[in-house]
Amino acid sequence: MAATFSQLSVLGSSLTLLFVFVLLGRRGVPAYVNAFAWQSIVLAGVTTVVAYYGRRPDLYWVAGLLVVVKGVAIPRLLQRMERRFHAERELEPYVNTATSLVIAGLLVLLAYAISRPLVALSRLPTRAGMPLAMGLILVSLFVLVSRKKAITQVIGFLMLENGLALLAVLGTYGVPLIVELGVFLDALLGFLVMQIFVYQIHETFESIDVERLSRLRH
Amino acid sequence: MALTLPLFLAMVLGHVVGAGGALLAPTRAGARGLTTLGAIVGGAAGLVLGFDTLIWGTPFRLEIPQLLAVAGGVSLHLDRLGAFFLLVVEVVAIPSALFGGAYSRVYEGTHSLRPLGVMLNLFLLALSLVPLADNVVTFLLLWELMSVASYFLVLTESDRRETRQAGLWYLAMAHGGLVLLMAAFLLLAASAPSTGFADLRTAAAALPAHTRNTVFVLVLLGFGSKAGLVPLHVWLPLAHPAAPSHVSALMSGVMIKMGVYGLLRVALDLLGGGPPWWGGTILAAGVVSALLGVLYALMEQDLKRLLAYSSVENMGIIFLGIGAGLLFQSYGLTALALLGLVAGLYHVLNHACFKGLLFLGSGAVLHATHTRNMEELGGLIKGMPRTAFCFLVGAAAISGLPPLNGFVSEWLVFQALLGGPQLPRPELGLIMAFAVAMLALTSGLAAACFVKAFGITFLAMPRSVHAAGAHEVPLAMQLGMGALAVACGALGVGCTLVVPSLGAVVAGLGGLPAGLMTGMPGLTLEMPGTVGVIAPAALAAGLLLVPVAVLVAFRLGGVDRRLRVGDTWGCGRIGQTPRMEYTATAFAEPLRRVFAELYRPTEDLSIDFHPESKYFVQSIAYRSEVHPWFERLLYAPIVSFLRRMAFRVRWLQAGSLHLYLLYMILALVVLLLVSRWTS
Amino acid sequence: MRHVVAAGQTSLALLLAPGLAGLIRWMKARLQNRRGAPFWQPYLELRKLFGKEVVVSSNASWLFRAAPFVIFASTVATTALVPVLAVPLAFDTMGDLVVLVYLLLLGTFFLALAGLDPGSAFGGMGASREVTVAALAEPTVALAVFALALSAGSTNLGQIVAATLADPASAVSPGHLLAFAALFIVTLAETGRLPVDNPATHLELTMIHEAMILEYSGRYLALIEWAAAVKLLIFFALLGNLFVPWGVARTLTPDALLMALGTFLLKLLLLAATIAVFETRVAKLRLFRVPELLSVSFVLALLAVSSSFLLR
Repeated sequence: MAATFSQLSVLGSSLTLLFVFVLLGRRGVPAYVNAFAWQSIVLAGVTTVVAYYGRRPDLYWVAGLLVVVKGVAIPRLLQRMERRFHAERELEPYVNTATSLVIAGLLVLLAYAISRPLVALSRLPTRAGMPLAMGLILVSLFVLVSRKKAITQVIGFLMLENGLALLAVLGTYGVPLIVELGVFLDALLGFLVMQIFVYQIHETFESIDVERLSRLRH
Repeated sequence: MALTLPLFLAMVLGHVVGAGGALLAPTRAGARGLTTLGAIVGGAAGLVLGFDTLIWGTPFRLEIPQLLAVAGGVSLHLDRLGAFFLLVVEVVAIPSALFGGAYSRVYEGTHSLRPLGVMLNLFLLALSLVPLADNVVTFLLLWELMSVASYFLVLTESDRRETRQAGLWYLAMAHGGLVLLMAAFLLLAASAPSTGFADLRTAAAALPAHTRNTVFVLVLLGFGSKAGLVPLHVWLPLAHPAAPSHVSALMSGVMIKMGVYGLLRVALDLLGGGPPWWGGTILAAGVVSALLGVLYALMEQDLKRLLAYSSVENMGIIFLGIGAGLLFQSYGLTALALLGLVAGLYHVLNHACFKGLLFLGSGAVLHATHTRNMEELGGLIKGMPRTAFCFLVGAAAISGLPPLNGFVSEWLVFQALLGGPQLPRPELGLIMAFAVAMLALTSGLAAACFVKAFGITFLAMPRSVHAAGAHEVPLAMQLGMGALAVACGALGVGCTLVVPSLGAVVAGLGGLPAGLMTGMPGLTLEMPGTVGVIAPAALAAGLLLVPVAVLVAFRLGGVDRRLRVGDTWGCGRIGQTPRMEYTATAFAEPLRRVFAELYRPTEDLSIDFHPESKYFVQSIAYRSEVHPWFERLLYAPIVSFLRRMAFRVRWLQAGSLHLYLLYMILALVVLLLVSRWTS
Repeated sequence: MRHVVAAGQTSLALLLAPGLAGLIRWMKARLQNRRGAPFWQPYLELRKLFGKEVVVSSNASWLFRAAPFVIFASTVATTALVPVLAVPLAFDTMGDLVVLVYLLLLGTFFLALAGLDPGSAFGGMGASREVTVAALAEPTVALAVFALALSAGSTNLGQIVAATLADPASAVSPGHLLAFAALFIVTLAETGRLPVDNPATHLELTMIHEAMILEYSGRYLALIEWAAAVKLLIFFALLGNLFVPWGVARTLTPDALLMALGTFLLKLLLLAATIAVFETRVAKLRLFRVPELLSVSFVLALLAVSSSFLLR
């Protein structure tokens, strides 16, 4: 029982981590949106597994919300945004594709190193997945720093949120429901605000290249 | 206990409904109406709750440990001290809300009323709940809510540059004070098992002296800046005039009193009093504030800024009473300590009433004439008779004229200071004597200031078209002002009913004995510790009786009853224009000359001579300004230092979004590595 | 019985006041080698004023018409508090020295407002100067009160008189003497006598009190003039009976009261003579020299308090 639980959770976590590499490896924005949608659904799956085996009925609600909000609603909004800005392709990021993938790998190793004490401390069957969640967080942060298009950054941020949720689920079987709801609200509102910003950036610069924002300083 | 919980819920719910209604109501009039209704309902519930606890001692306690469990949960407890301040809040809140309902119509079309309504209700809610907070987190959260809500209220007219500046100063100083308070509470809570006030109280008894002194200094600075103690008062004359008038009434009448509440709560209740220099410092700060406040109020032409400086003065008087009380308490003279504290608390209530009334009055003037500048007003008493009467009551009360309420509390402060000779050290007694003199000077100057405020604004002829066209304000506004005017009179004449409750408020705190106030005679005001006795009710009766007797005597004595209306004597000149009246600047000019060393007015005189001859003058331009030199001396160096530092650090802000993100991520990674390799 | 005596002594004070003002005027006239009007002239003036028609400025409001009554009421209430003939007073518990000071401030407040109401420059000027002088005189009065309360242990006037009578040596203590001097200067300031204000001037620019009441006529002016005279009597009664209380009746027997009346009239006479001589010798000060005079009185009062403290 514990073994299947543990294996299922590790499997799910690895899948979610893999999806973030799509952001570093592919060029087109529709791929990113799909990756995010699938990542959220897998995350919902992991949450359901923990809800069932860990006997936390609250987490069913969380999983449902994940599917609805992050699996369906936000990807829809992202697709709409992407259609509006003519689906620009991420052509020249700060760090090129190969180097990005190597750095991402190194970051995952770093995540393992950092999470050693956490794993050692935890008694839960899901502890093996925690380094993967940490890795997801660090790689998402890297995406934020190295990509120039605003939509990519937004998606990177959303994946970061997923990583944090995964860490919470694996580390403590989730956080109190009220906190989860708060975080969802936060993510949703943040996304809406970012939508407005991307629109404004486009209005001002006729492009969603975030680097152009530094022109505003003078 | 049966009534208190429903009352509390009604209070909270009233304000929440008011805020929600302001946001969601379909029409603007509906938004205004719901705001006012919610505020009044919440206020009335709070008033009854406060009365219940103050008069009958019904305790109220509410704990919600699940909310903010990390920081100790939300904990509310109403004791007599809190109940008194809750009463002060609601006494001003209800008339102000009523006034504001009609007053905010002025903003329709130019500014959005919905944020105003939401923030007003949140502000009132925070104000009502601060006296109930029973642990550190609840207190700080509600304090911050109070500051932030009032900041947004101050910024209602944000299209004006001076309003935005006022908001900036206000926010900066409020948060500076908050940081000091957080430090103080952290020091107190460090050695206590939890952050509840009961635990802090027991733990504070065991704290070493230097920690207690540090906490006191931090709390004095933090709460003193909220209360407007000189030199931390600079935000008051900026923020209070900039806010809408009913908000100014709330801020000046109630919010600054929360500084007094906080100081009493920490210094007297939690710390239980301290060495004599605590009371002495508060007393000295009170004297300085009172004098400087009234001196700068005298020089003002802006009606609302004059009232703001006058608030600084009255807070000085309050701190005078409280400082004297704490000083006596540190020497064990409990009757005198009670007297001083009761005097300070009574002045809190009285000032709330008459300052609220005066600000509402100035709001009425602003509503009718669209100007706050006294040099453009005049003659309003004919067009706005009821407003003028209410303002007159407020002006007489704040000048301390018998038999109104300001006089009673100033008398009590005098009596407290007159107990100075009983202190074991004669130097302290002399300082109290000096304080008596300064208090009397302040009193006289306040009377001068309000003769100017009322006389120039309401009497004689209108000095501009705005003033000439003034007419009476809507009924709701008149009712708000009238309620406070009645309160001023009632608190003066009925003081013998109020003072025992005030004694009960402070009894039991800081080692002061309860039961010292029992058995007071009905009509005369006398407390254990006073060296005199007065009977304001009898005074009022006498003052009303004499004119009646005179009129009867006139009738009986066959005195000539004719009356004819004529021109004002003008030394034989024909006609009279408003230019011939005294101006506000001119009225205060003798005092400006007397205190010129303090004011250091700048003067700029330029004379244009006729091109042909030096003996013929074409025009003379005279410009004189009185700037409070605190800002130049104290704050300007701080602000310029901050500017220089900020400029130096500017290179960090390269303007690139990625760079900022990189900073954050690097910081996170460094932190994780550090924690990993040092665990 | 006590209330009857108290009411009686208040009425006596009210009746004597115009005569006192007239007496001072007569004495000054004699000192200046004039014949001078008889000392009962103010009574005739009051009767004349009560019979005249009132002319009110078109700019004035109801406050102008109400102010004389307020001023008169506050003055009468103050008189009720002052020990004229007998202590303990029936109205003693109604107010003490602090109340007295503030009641006088009430009168000044409304007088100043009444000066501003008609909108004339003279009224404004008088009001502005009057509140300046009143405000600057306050600290001295407060300190004098403090000094007296210190030695008597109470601020109620009856108690102060009784305490001084019980301990005659305290009457010549430095504290009392200095307080007397301080209060004398304050009397000059508050009642509008030279060198602070000239009650007989007809030049508007030199007026303080007279400028404020320039617009009043008829019965209103009568009330205000009467109140001013009563204020003078109040200060004389304070100076006399607080600092030199011998003669004040302790019991309410007819002999005691008669003797009290006699000594009171004597004290009034002496003080009136002092004021008259002083006014004849001294010239009016420029307005901006008045604060200097008042600061002298403040220092005297401060010394009074210090000596009371340190010599206890």
